[in-house]
Amino acid sequence: MSLEKQELLDLKSKIGREPTSTELQIIAAEWSEHCSYKSSKKHLKMLPMTGPLVINEKGYDSGVLDVGDGYVVTAHIESHNHPSAVEPYGGAATGVGGVIRDILSAGTRPIAIFDGLRFGNIENDLQARWLFKNAVTGIADYGNCLGIPTIGGEVEFDECYENYALVDVAALGFGKKENLIKNHAKKDDLVVLMGGSTGRDGIGGSQFASDSLESEDRSAVQIPDPFIEKLIIEAVLQARNDGLIHAMKDLGGGGLSCAISETADALEIGIEMDVDKVHTRESDMHPDEIMVSESQERMLIVTSKTKLKKLEEICKKFRIGCSVIGRVKFDNQVHIKKGSKTVANLSADFVANATLLDLPSKVPDYLKNIETEKKFKPISNYSKTLMKLLASPNIASKIWVYGQYDHEVGIRTVVKPGRDASVLRLDNGKFLSAKIDGNPKHCYINPREGAIGCFEEACRNVVCTGAKPIGMLDHLQFGNPNDPEIFWTFLESLKGLTDFAKTFDIPCVGGKVSLYNETPKGPIKPTPVIGVIGLIDKKPSIQQKISKGDCLLIVGDTKDEMGGSEFFEYIHKFVGGKCPVVNFDDSKKNMKSVLDVIKNDLVKSVHDCSKGGLAIAVSELSMTNLIGCKVSLEKVPGEKLDIDRILFSESHSRYLLVCDKTNLSKIEVILKKNKVSFKQIGQFGGEKIQFFNGAKPVIDLNVEKTHKIWLHALPNLVLHGKKSV
Amino acid sequence: MAIFDVHVIIENKPGISDPEGDTILNDLVLKGTHKTVSKIKTAKMLKFTIKEKDKKSAQSKVKEICDDLRIYNPMVSKVTYTVTQE
Amino acid sequence: MKVGVVVFPGSNCDRDMYHVLTDVFHFDAQYYWHEKGLPKNIDAVILPGGFSYGDRLRAGVIAAHSPIIKDVQKMAKKGIPILGVCNGFQILVESGLLPGVLLKNKSLNFMCEWTNLIVENNKTPFTNQFKLNQKIPIPIANGEGRYYVDDDTMKKLKKKNQIVFRYSEVVNGSSNRIAGVCNEDGNVVGMMPHPERAVESEINPVDNKPSSLIFESLLSKIGATK
Repeated sequence: MSLEKQELLDLKSKIGREPTSTELQIIAAEWSEHCSYKSSKKHLKMLPMTGPLVINEKGYDSGVLDVGDGYVVTAHIESHNHPSAVEPYGGAATGVGGVIRDILSAGTRPIAIFDGLRFGNIENDLQARWLFKNAVTGIADYGNCLGIPTIGGEVEFDECYENYALVDVAALGFGKKENLIKNHAKKDDLVVLMGGSTGRDGIGGSQFASDSLESEDRSAVQIPDPFIEKLIIEAVLQARNDGLIHAMKDLGGGGLSCAISETADALEIGIEMDVDKVHTRESDMHPDEIMVSESQERMLIVTSKTKLKKLEEICKKFRIGCSVIGRVKFDNQVHIKKGSKTVANLSADFVANATLLDLPSKVPDYLKNIETEKKFKPISNYSKTLMKLLASPNIASKIWVYGQYDHEVGIRTVVKPGRDASVLRLDNGKFLSAKIDGNPKHCYINPREGAIGCFEEACRNVVCTGAKPIGMLDHLQFGNPNDPEIFWTFLESLKGLTDFAKTFDIPCVGGKVSLYNETPKGPIKPTPVIGVIGLIDKKPSIQQKISKGDCLLIVGDTKDEMGGSEFFEYIHKFVGGKCPVVNFDDSKKNMKSVLDVIKNDLVKSVHDCSKGGLAIAVSELSMTNLIGCKVSLEKVPGEKLDIDRILFSESHSRYLLVCDKTNLSKIEVILKKNKVSFKQIGQFGGEKIQFFNGAKPVIDLNVEKTHKIWLHALPNLVLHGKKSV
Repeated sequence: MAIFDVHVIIENKPGISDPEGDTILNDLVLKGTHKTVSKIKTAKMLKFTIKEKDKKSAQSKVKEICDDLRIYNPMVSKVTYTVTQE
Repeated sequence: MKVGVVVFPGSNCDRDMYHVLTDVFHFDAQYYWHEKGLPKNIDAVILPGGFSYGDRLRAGVIAAHSPIIKDVQKMAKKGIPILGVCNGFQILVESGLLPGVLLKNKSLNFMCEWTNLIVENNKTPFTNQFKLNQKIPIPIANGEGRYYVDDDTMKKLKKKNQIVFRYSEVVNGSSNRIAGVCNEDGNVVGMMPHPERAVESEINPVDNKPSSLIFESLLSKIGATK
């Protein structure tokens, strides 16, 4: 239990008596960082949350976007870091379950899952390997069983996650606007708990998520049951179609305590419930345990007496539990009883709204000299360096991961995983594109510019498919916020994201803050993960096979921004330097021009230039098309730079375009008109990936051989402990 | 030295749910005519064959291996060992 | 002509299959919940993919005990076309309507990827529009998809022309690269890959025409009216 002294005093003075043990448990759960956002809430308000497409209604656990023709898309992001660090299989799986129920609670069918995974250095850390492998299996077993495609994500390894795991899950939902749940309640409506039974598993989970891992009590493990979750999805959607749901909320962190108090608070009602009515797994559970159990796969539904019978029939058909546990009152109280005995009676508004904190912040000491570069040993063989990077865990193909996820089920997946962003078809003839991106290496060096970079990268990926960004999800993951230096990095990231969102008119439709991410060696690097949702009105840009003679263009300047690059960190083992900075004007121009080129159907392929820089982006195009490419580095636009910088700088706002020769001049006209910096830098053909500096060859690799190494490096390492290069 | 069979049964700790066992019980066994069954628990069994000096060291060696290599996760699982001599 | 799509708790390709049957090929399709019976006037039955009962114990084994399976068995005897896809195939095998078993993939992982099938038998109600050895680009998505039979059964399968589809290359370690089989009469067909995910050009990155022939074969067998 982690109620602060001051909070306990507040509680006592508010109710004018000693709190009961159940009241203490409820308050501790609801006022935990995880549920109350007490450290971050004051500041999160700076993000723009409205826009012409955003539908805001009370009590939604997910963001809702109007995509036209009477349809909506819902989106949400969550993490399950602490549980996954202890039990990666169950932690990751139940993470998927939680975010899916958030999508469901708006009344929409979940149609896609994305997951961002971060672990320690799997090259030498066996624990990290174990965590990674099991988290992937957990996500696969859960998502596949639900029949919801996992269509995107990212995997990253960094020493700052040693003995820890970041498991972020985002999900999208789709449905008719008229079917959205309009959360409301009438007097004497019934409160129903639907789904799996309530057990002792996961007790104290939300407080656990808000404590550092060192001090935690490791009993808070949750067992995933995707089969029940699938049945809940079908039962809820049928109940929605039959108009049986007045209000709905998923049971997540804090269990019944949070679901009851937040529902009562959002709907401005009171709820009286009886713990004896909850269907429990064990018969001897204490009211306190029932109120804070975080057993998975449960939904809270408010319905009327007349509709109850139909709801019960649906639950019976899908063989899931359904208990009337309470009723709606208009006294704004959360009144918990055991039989006729009151065990807690608190005002909903008081429970659901913890006192918000205004934590101090201070520029971290480590940033003082972080931008100073050191002198490196010159690279003697760039072919070897590129090969080494292509086989490195952060850059190697992730097909071993997404090949375990069913990414086709639901028959919407137009652009499959492994590309810049995946694309789904919608029932109104439009297409949805989505991507999540994070970059702790950049964010560590510059929390503001790093966060903006993640945002822009996710936008770029979506733009590569021909989509216009319409909404953003932010997931802000940091260490202990009571450390002013850590809190400063949080604020900087948030301010950066806010600036970018406002400038680009991309509303934040959902988000999550996860604090206290501490490993035995200290806090994690600042790790904001940004999801961007894009909409395509007509036709997505689908990569066409690249053939001999096709031209390679780059849009955007390459700058001397090596800080946090894979080249510095993986090759030189150096953390520092100046990290990439997004120039908002260039970013906007480049985005618009690329969308123009795509709209005019002039390109075969568009690829984002990011992690590992230009050399990696070109190699990826070559490898996935099994065709060689000859690139002239001196043609790359931007200030004059050394070769290593041109090859590996991770400057933002850059896109690679591949086109047929015959379209080249038309593309150039569009790019010139938009006044963007661009150049044709190469041509495809042959069997070699070649980079030249003038007449001097810099890199020369065989495509097929490189492709094989890139493709198999990750499973070789995870399954056999073998390094490929 | 002698040869021992060490059977390692890995199952969820008491109080931790076992959805697979529950499904087999409720959707298969109890739907048939076998109404006297009240609980089914799933478990994983590993059979080790090991050369050691006695029963006791055979068990402690296998236990050491299981702990070392995270063959089970102590967060969720309970393990029982039975040793027999071949 | 009526096609029944059987739905079990945990089926998750039922809606995809229904969409393809009705919107793409204009069959008169109906869902049938596993606890109910099938009507007498039904012309074909499809068991779609998914995770019936969460794949617990063994994929398909619990669903094979569902009440509706008795009707499926009766219809199979009458010669009515029956197709099981992925989990549907596993259920047909577990209920004794098709020979063999489906084991964990050799990789021990769930596998989702595009592959190619080769048509080995073009006499079934689901393959009568194919040329022998025709290639079908199609996705697989399963964890227990490795088809296995003992040597004697394999000989029998070959003799009675019960191998319907094979993978063009080794995918998951299936005996003889088998991806789909039929019963001796040829009216009950099971296949691991997902034809319903391959018949629309929008989501098929290769060629949607070959897989469409599976449904066109059924159309030609039972005719289509709506």
